[in-house]
Amino acid sequence: MDEIRKLRNIGISAHIDSGKTTLTERILYFTKRIFAIHEVKGKDGVGATMDSMELEKERGITIASAATHCEWKGHRINIIDTPGHVDFTIEVERALRVMDGAVLILCSVGGVQSQSITVDRQMKRYEVPRIAFINKCDRAGADPYKVVDQLREKLGHNAVFMQIPIGLESELSGIVDLVSMKALYFEGPNGDEVRTGEIPPSMVDEAMLKREELLDAASMFSDDLMEAILEENPTPDLIHEAVRNGTVSRHLTPVFLGSAYKNIGVQAVLDGINRYLPSPPDVKNAALDIDRDEAEVPLETDPDKPVVALAFKLEVTPYGQLTYLRIYQGSIGKGDDITLTRTGRKIKVGRLVRMHAEQMEDLTSAKAGDIVALFGVDCYSGDTFTSGGLNYTMSSMFVPEPVISLSISPEDNKSQTNMSKALNRFVREDPTFRSYVDQESGETIISGMGELHLEVYVERMKREFSARVTTGMPQVAYREAITRRADFDYTHKKQTGGSGQFGRVTGFMEPSEESAYEFVNQIKGGVIPTEYIPAVDKGFQSCLNKGAALGFPVVGMKVTINDGKSHSVDSSELAFTQAAIGAFKQAYIKARPVILEPVMKVSVEGPSEFQGSIMGSINQRRGLITSSTEDGDFTTIDAEVPLAEMFGYATVLRSLTQGRAEFTMEFLKYSRVPRSLSEELKANLRGKSRGEKKS
Amino acid sequence: MKDFISVSPLKVLERSSEQILGPGNLGVLVARAGVGKTACLIHIAFDKIFRKEKLVHVSLEEGPDKVASYYRVIYHDLLKALNVEDDHEYRELLERNRMTLAYINQSFDLKRLQANLRNLTERLGFRPSTLIVDGLDFEETEREVFEELKKVAGEFEVEIWFSALSHRHITETSEMGIPYPVHKLDDLFTIIMQLQPGQTGIFLKLLKDHDGYSVPEGSMRLDPNTFLALD
Ligand SMILES: Nc1nc2c(ncn2[C@@H]2O[C@H](COP(=O)(O)OP(=O)(O)O)[C@@H](O)[C@H]2O)c(=O)[nH]1
Repeated sequence: MDEIRKLRNIGISAHIDSGKTTLTERILYFTKRIFAIHEVKGKDGVGATMDSMELEKERGITIASAATHCEWKGHRINIIDTPGHVDFTIEVERALRVMDGAVLILCSVGGVQSQSITVDRQMKRYEVPRIAFINKCDRAGADPYKVVDQLREKLGHNAVFMQIPIGLESELSGIVDLVSMKALYFEGPNGDEVRTGEIPPSMVDEAMLKREELLDAASMFSDDLMEAILEENPTPDLIHEAVRNGTVSRHLTPVFLGSAYKNIGVQAVLDGINRYLPSPPDVKNAALDIDRDEAEVPLETDPDKPVVALAFKLEVTPYGQLTYLRIYQGSIGKGDDITLTRTGRKIKVGRLVRMHAEQMEDLTSAKAGDIVALFGVDCYSGDTFTSGGLNYTMSSMFVPEPVISLSISPEDNKSQTNMSKALNRFVREDPTFRSYVDQESGETIISGMGELHLEVYVERMKREFSARVTTGMPQVAYREAITRRADFDYTHKKQTGGSGQFGRVTGFMEPSEESAYEFVNQIKGGVIPTEYIPAVDKGFQSCLNKGAALGFPVVGMKVTINDGKSHSVDSSELAFTQAAIGAFKQAYIKARPVILEPVMKVSVEGPSEFQGSIMGSINQRRGLITSSTEDGDFTTIDAEVPLAEMFGYATVLRSLTQGRAEFTMEFLKYSRVPRSLSEELKANLRGKSRGEKKS
Repeated sequence: MKDFISVSPLKVLERSSEQILGPGNLGVLVARAGVGKTACLIHIAFDKIFRKEKLVHVSLEEGPDKVASYYRVIYHDLLKALNVEDDHEYRELLERNRMTLAYINQSFDLKRLQANLRNLTERLGFRPSTLIVDGLDFEETEREVFEELKKVAGEFEVEIWFSALSHRHITETSEMGIPYPVHKLDDLFTIIMQLQPGQTGIFLKLLKDHDGYSVPEGSMRLDPNTFLALD
């Protein structure tokens, strides 16, 4: 257990260019994982470790890892790569899920920028405790004090300095540690040696003041520290413990600072990770029990319990597919059998490895809390593995239907090939992302859970697969559904020379809340021979792709057949399929179809002063606001809004709130389009079919 | 939902002089921990919603998801107890006529409540007739806050229902028999009710009703599982 307490699974997140790559590389250097420091994207053609596929390909031994392992002062640290794109996709979501804590990097010049806001909100949503590192204190215009104010005001953090800089900009020479009340200097060619000295006399007053602030903030999280302060003896251990309590409970954000590039302050951040960020047992995790309607079950970081592990990232390597796993419960050893929840299939654990920056370490076993990788396991990312007969999943098995689609076309031949590769890959990674070729237009269509969702994949296609594509206008995925029962009695009859076609089906269609389509056979006495029943079913199903109201797919229909007629010579499968199609057409309009549209659960968060304008903007979009929550200076407004009304909302929100509010949305349900709007929709579609095609 | 109104705990007010709490007034439900204050408050909310009035649920402890789940649970219990089918129309009423305002991590203050209510009316045209305030700590809240809340009730023309936590070991009462922690605030509250577990169910007692104290016959028995009126 002691070992698990000394494990950290952390992410490093930042606005682009604030120095994530540089800091990561320095961390790996100081923890002796790499043996030389290269300048990021420097002239020696060698990039920093986490970021450079090219370099790794050349050396042929290492792999760009989703998680890298290192050790610092008796603690093991797994650094989880947070994908560079900050938009909310399932990939980012999984990375956030497997980390127990994070370092939020901010640039001392740029401060809290919009991307830092997004990243921070995501961490908040996933309840990830954070420490902050204010980087680039050596740059002209560096102002860490301003950045801490922004952390408080813009991000609502209870941020407190753990250190103050000795000098700033080009004068930056070290930091004052407010816990030990010592100055720290980083000496040697790469800042390897940390030299402790007295606080420069000119800084003593300021240091005392900032220490007071730190003690005030920290004492809220420890009665022992509070008492010790009254007795004027707050020891470093008491302070560390209090800061740790505050950080782990996400009520306090300790702030570190320095310059990754100039090797100032990096070791102190590592100490901070060990001291203040949670270990796996400090964090609550839960799985869903499929046998109990996906009820939540808490997991325990206990190596002796049955296994529950999440595959959070797949990587294709020259050695085969590598699957990154976070083990939440139990232990996995080489040769063990584990079960893939999605398929129920058993898998034998072959090669089990841990990824270091420049090498792979083979393991014989790994325990709860840890992050490891498996070779040669056929699975999707997001899959759950278990043992001991547990039927648990780490994420809901329910995959919603896509709500939006977009046509994409490659700009050249090379892009064509790359696009197919990319699409194959994305579909494996993300079950809510689909792709198909439209039969009528021959275009490739991608569909997913929102505008942003698709944008991110288009962006990744360009960046990771060099597939240049042009995209069409996003289209909302409307559906049709009937609202009342309607009977049919249809005879399909054709006499063309020799043998004819004959089939008659009788029954009714009615709305169904349970499923998208249901077929009930109540035929008695074989009036339709059993062998033709599947053909009838097939006939109905073939009508579901394009409803007769507006040509949208039909959902929520139950068809019952209870009578019919066949002919000993002229009946055939084809004849009954045709009869069913005729029956569908006969009844469908009588069953009063309506148009359904996807409605999203939208959550907007911003400073409270904007509550009114945000509410107004949602109200204008046919939105239904369900709640408004005040937390500190922030307000979160939850609403249900039709997807069709959400196009361009990001821009509107930005201008309403000076970029200080954020929103997320996810699919909630399909609802009926109001009558006036469905008329409009009809008119638009008629226009479109007359050739005014949007491009 | 006529059926419901006939078993609502608010039926106790039929025995009151004016039958309702009324806009501009404060009402409170006093009970010990675990007796079911929140459930009972939510029944009051359903009573309003099913009368097609609009309601704001103010939560000082739980976030909106929790609140929504309480309403769902009680809604389903209600359907079961009354033996009626789930209906699209009811659910729509529930969605459209209820708004949750949550104040987490000690974010509640009067200015904010007022600003929030103003936004609801001005921006959304959402005009509530009732506010349910759950989780306000009566022991820690100054008298002035209640005076202000009474003004808010007047300004927005709403009635406000609170829940107050009492303790077994504190038996202090006002001269008129109003129990702790409402004993010094009884002039500000128009209706004061107490929820008390008894041998045959839970009793809802009307302790103060507009101008009258210790209302004769002002007691009603509730089903301890569903909180619906038994007689
Ligand atoms: N002056 C200064 N430059 C830095 C510092 N850290 C990183 N940089 C530079 O900022 C740029 C972006 O850094 P990088 O680590 O790639 O940022 P990332 O996009 O967050 O991964 C590079 O040119 C770095 O050399 C620092 O502490 N001080």
